[in-house]
Amino acid sequence: MSRGIAEKVVPAPLVGNRQRRSNVGDRIFGGLAYGAGFLILLIALVFLLALIIPAVPSITRFGLSFIVGRVWDPVHLQFGALPAIYGTLVTSAVGLIIAFPIGVGAAIFLAQENGMRVIRGPMSFAIELLAAIPSVVIGLFAFFILTPIMRTNVDPFLNHVLGFLPLFSGSASGYGYLTAGVVLAVMVLPILTALSRDVIATVPRSLREASLALGATRAETIWSVIIPYARVGVTGAVLLSLGRALGETIAVTMVIGNSPSIKASLFSLGYTLPSVIANEFTEAVGKVYQGALFELALILAVITIIVNVLARLLIWRFTKGEPVSA
Amino acid sequence: MSRLIVRIALDRIVTALIAIAVALAAIPVLVLLLFVVIKGLPGMLAPGFFTQSFHPYGIPGGGVLNAIVGTVEIVGIASVIAVPVGSMVGIFLSEYGRNSLGNTVRFVSDVLTGLPSIAFGIFAYTILVATLGHFSAISASVALAVLMLPVILRATETAMILVPHSLREAGLALGAPRWRVTLEVVVPAALGGIVTGALLAMARAAGETAPLLFTALGNDYLQLDPLRPMGALALTVYRNALLPYTSLQDQAWAAALLLVLIVGLTNVLARIYVRRIQR
Amino acid sequence: MKRVLLGFSLSAALLLAACGGNSNTATNPSTGGASTTVTPPAASLTGAGSTFVAPFAQAAFYAYNQKYSQVTVNYQSVGSGAGIQQLTAKTVDFGASDVPMSSKELTAAGGPDSVVQIPDTLGAVGLAYNLQGVSNGQLKLTPATIAGIFLGTIKKWNDQALAADNTGVNLPNLPITVVHRSDGSGTSYIFTDYLSSVSSDWSTKVGKGKSVSWPVGQGAKGNEAVATTIKQTPGAIGYVELAYILQANMTQASLKNHDGNFVIPSEAGATAAASQYQTISATGNFSIVNAPGKDSTPIAGFSWIMLYKDQSDKTKGTALVDLLYWLVTDGQQYGSNLHYAKLPAAMTKDAINSLKTVTASGSTLLNVPSPS
Repeated sequence: MSRGIAEKVVPAPLVGNRQRRSNVGDRIFGGLAYGAGFLILLIALVFLLALIIPAVPSITRFGLSFIVGRVWDPVHLQFGALPAIYGTLVTSAVGLIIAFPIGVGAAIFLAQENGMRVIRGPMSFAIELLAAIPSVVIGLFAFFILTPIMRTNVDPFLNHVLGFLPLFSGSASGYGYLTAGVVLAVMVLPILTALSRDVIATVPRSLREASLALGATRAETIWSVIIPYARVGVTGAVLLSLGRALGETIAVTMVIGNSPSIKASLFSLGYTLPSVIANEFTEAVGKVYQGALFELALILAVITIIVNVLARLLIWRFTKGEPVSA
Repeated sequence: MSRLIVRIALDRIVTALIAIAVALAAIPVLVLLLFVVIKGLPGMLAPGFFTQSFHPYGIPGGGVLNAIVGTVEIVGIASVIAVPVGSMVGIFLSEYGRNSLGNTVRFVSDVLTGLPSIAFGIFAYTILVATLGHFSAISASVALAVLMLPVILRATETAMILVPHSLREAGLALGAPRWRVTLEVVVPAALGGIVTGALLAMARAAGETAPLLFTALGNDYLQLDPLRPMGALALTVYRNALLPYTSLQDQAWAAALLLVLIVGLTNVLARIYVRRIQR
Repeated sequence: MKRVLLGFSLSAALLLAACGGNSNTATNPSTGGASTTVTPPAASLTGAGSTFVAPFAQAAFYAYNQKYSQVTVNYQSVGSGAGIQQLTAKTVDFGASDVPMSSKELTAAGGPDSVVQIPDTLGAVGLAYNLQGVSNGQLKLTPATIAGIFLGTIKKWNDQALAADNTGVNLPNLPITVVHRSDGSGTSYIFTDYLSSVSSDWSTKVGKGKSVSWPVGQGAKGNEAVATTIKQTPGAIGYVELAYILQANMTQASLKNHDGNFVIPSEAGATAAASQYQTISATGNFSIVNAPGKDSTPIAGFSWIMLYKDQSDKTKGTALVDLLYWLVTDGQQYGSNLHYAKLPAAMTKDAINSLKTVTASGSTLLNVPSPS
């Protein structure tokens, strides 16, 4: 058994019986620990099977055309997931693009140790509270309050200023990709901010103070000291947030418009993978229809896996394999 | 000299940007909380909200007693499953898992967080409801436990890693076996983070709806048997918030407010506890 | 001698009463079932399914529990299809659906003879809209214009086709925003059933179903979400359950029915439509859309409850059929102020007869006289 640096300095105590007994304890504990690890893998495997097996009738029937098909017609049993995949990626991207600067900016503020405690304390608390609000409530909030605001104020403004871009062209109903993206931003903000705040708080005070002592401005300290140190942890926070954004169902369903189409404008109505599943799962009859919905869940799992792999590659490149901080 | 001015200007700009970010982050939080409070208060103050179970529309009174008890029981059982298992996996990852097995577990856990919560409900339905032939609170607890595991495991691992190596080595140097060092030295030092993770996971579980739809099903009557369908606050919100009857809508919003209050309380307690540990 | 005879007959009567055992006691002969009371055994029942009937079902079952505290009925709305799924998986005692089980679903449940399906209530669907200055019932829609709107061929409110039916009504030059259900629902089924029967275009291009591929429009999840979307969007129109329209005080259109009259959808109109058909059956024709009759509401449909014909648990089975018997007779009153239409007499008779076929270990569970 490894005792780290101690091994080199202090020789192992020569206590025969106790050592043998402690070996047993170690073995049991180690066994439990490894067992727990394997349990997670087992759960994930069962999960995967629970998704794959019912999806087989749909996979065998539609093959690859399922992923690129654009028509979702339950009556004629024609299913294509492309609009939903597109919607999921677009809304998650919009959500993260909005949440990232706000979350990291707020995290930098919340992680500092001096000054403005009156604001920092309640705000930290409030943001964590936000994480607890059920997504149904956020969906209802978005439905009743956010959509009118988007329709009458935000969307026309964006159209006016940036309407030359295909992203912001066309008329706005208040529903659609952009509104869904905003809702997702609100939902991932707590995770992103809280986790980033915790990571930034671990940047050693001495480093920050050294930078300031050398004459760097606060902005330069942030750029040259805090960001590189916290880069890995913040990426992890972004990953977790992306996971939540990809899988968010109820809140998005209420504002995305539930229309299986692919359009360039962020004002247009769309669909996401979880929304289709949530909308139609309870009423789907027949192995092929149900299989199609399970296949959507499978595609979502695959997208999540791909995103996670990419992010890990990114982290690995940053740190050359050696994890710097959690 | 002009370079200094540029640097100072940049500093001011960045400070301003951060201030804007903070304001933008604060707005949705405040507006949402205000929204929930305003819509939820009338229902909460209605007589019988805390003491009676569900009354259908047309019958005056009625409340969420069955749902409160249901949420407590379902999340309680889920925590009893998820916290020990999750912290054990977190311990595994930090103490034994700096290898490819550990990396696989970490990866799998991250993927699980990305799945829509309805998938956990379907999973629990397949293994516990369809097989046993009836809905039950315990199948909901299993679904929630799997949902909670990645959060607890990650928080535990993070907390354990942050404990300085010197503590471990000191323990080992004194001749203690590894398992005792881990359990009696490192875990107590990391306890703050572990508890926070557990409490946050419990809070999230309390607010989840989709995993409960096909496991606990819901129950208008107050009942404690975990092997039978059970009500929950999240289900009350989901099913009643969009009905056209104002009295039931009020109840749904009040239930949502109650959930937020419960979570807020849990958060406060967690922070107090962590601060005491760190003393 | 007289005393012995009296004593003997008294004890014989007591013995018979004690052996009567099973607590079904029919007090009055049935005349269409309205006044027979049946006392159920103690049981705890679970049902799931249609969201549409949930308010009615919950109110009725609550009243039933007040009357017979030994029976608790837990009904949860999970959706019509889910209700059927759960009945098939035997995780609930009965399911409720706005559409009866299809032949595929029946096969999955053990064959068409293994399930009993009875109607429990009647609902209508209206077309709610948001047009300034156009009040309730002022907008007149015909089958052709409804189909045109939902197919996307009629795109603006001041379209010729609409103006032709609405002389004197100020229809603005506004694009029509169509709102439909995004989730699978019985309401969608009834509406698309109607469209399929009045428009061959719709029938070939889209068809009928709980979820269809809508040619135009925006999807909202649930009746209330559709209702709110309409309320929030000027120029919007969508189909909503009548109960929601009335509860939320929405403006709805007058619809031209089969006989050519413009009617505002109502419970009475739904019952009138249903009464036109003598041979409604869950496995045969159950559609009552576009029904003849001068007062008939064109878009209406039954909602159904399904249970297994052969009940494995005798006590539960008895409690179940007693409950459902009550539901289609005395229980109907609990739907009126919730805007559910009552079952016509012919359907109640059918339902009672169907319930009498439910057995457990070979013996019939419902001990009431057959309705006349």
